[in-house]
Amino acid sequence: MATKDRLIIVGGDAAGMSAAAQALRMRDDLEIIAFERGQHTSYSA
Amino acid sequence: MRRLEDGATYREPVDQLVYATGAGPRWLEVPGARSRGIYGVATLADGLLLRQIVEDERPQRAVIVGGGYIGIEMAEAFVARGLDVSLVELGSEVMGTLDADMGALVSAALREAGVKVYLEERVTGFHADGGQVRAVETDRRTLPADLVVLGVGVQPRSELAAEAGLPLGESGAVRIDDRMRTGIPGVWAAGDCAETFHLVSRRPAYIPLGTTANKQGRICGINLGGGYARFPGVVGTAITKFNQTEVARTGLSEREAQALGFEYGVARIEDRTRARYYPDSALMVVKLLAEKGSGRLLGAQIVGGPGAGKRIDVVAAALHAGMRVDEFMYLDLAYAPPFSPVWDPLLIAARKAAEQV
Repeated sequence: MATKDRLIIVGGDAAGMSAAAQALRMRDDLEIIAFERGQHTSYSA
Repeated sequence: MRRLEDGATYREPVDQLVYATGAGPRWLEVPGARSRGIYGVATLADGLLLRQIVEDERPQRAVIVGGGYIGIEMAEAFVARGLDVSLVELGSEVMGTLDADMGALVSAALREAGVKVYLEERVTGFHADGGQVRAVETDRRTLPADLVVLGVGVQPRSELAAEAGLPLGESGAVRIDDRMRTGIPGVWAAGDCAETFHLVSRRPAYIPLGTTANKQGRICGINLGGGYARFPGVVGTAITKFNQTEVARTGLSEREAQALGFEYGVARIEDRTRARYYPDSALMVVKLLAEKGSGRLLGAQIVGGPGAGKRIDVVAAALHAGMRVDEFMYLDLAYAPPFSPVWDPLLIAARKAAEQV
């Protein structure tokens, strides 16, 4: 069985989380790992 | 990767990678700049921390360094909290993304609210006592301070990307194409760590804003997911407010147009947000630039009372469309007395600018 393609996102605010959300809509076979240095994601400062 | 909780380092194998590392606040490189009590405001956590400090430590005197978006928004918040607020700005007026004649209106609004505004002053250092900031030193004076906020701009967090060999643009941000590709297959970048394209100057630009970051992220996700999407670019639209004064800009300012070598005509008009006789009709000033010869709109700036600022979106749309000022001046904009004079102030400004191109 093929393993899922792995996408790594560095940064979990506006751009990173928008990319993650859209990528998941495009492909359900992606494994997405997002890294965020802070305590919050997608607060869109 | 290093896990911040326990310092453990590990590797993650990867097929595709997105740099969305954002931007961080610039810091002043002057003596005492790392003292306790000096804050940047970049993240939600920064804002929460500042609010906590204002509530717990009850600082009396706040000094804000920088009269840009962060500076005037923090000034509004501190004035609302009853603090004694001073603002130090290096430029000739606050809001350096506007021309000085428009920034002056914002400086006036700050002063009217009791903010002490010190223009054309450079911060040369901070005095601290036991590590805690006590005063801000400028090249003209010493300002006592219990709390200092730095709003002196941001810089792209592009170190990781640079170390990985991704090309950076002149701004130091990651260079990307209109599909958010970095030039290395499978590696993408989006948001405040990356550049974008300016549709008016037709050049790469670094204008880090949450609006653009959201759009670039979306475009990035579509493309890396195997779809096709392109981000056309930005026109440099931004808005803020200080108390009742709304401040908005789009396109090129006069200063930017000059730096880029554009020949332009300019109009600056004063009008009202609503019909003169209507309750809460407020003053607003519009400045509009158009290119000589072609008549192409280049940019606009608005400073005025409630209802003034979001009018900038009409100009932003026109800039996206590459509209000429003589086309713009007869736009069928919405009118009723509660919303606008019969000639919207934007159209008046366009009529005047059309005479100049």
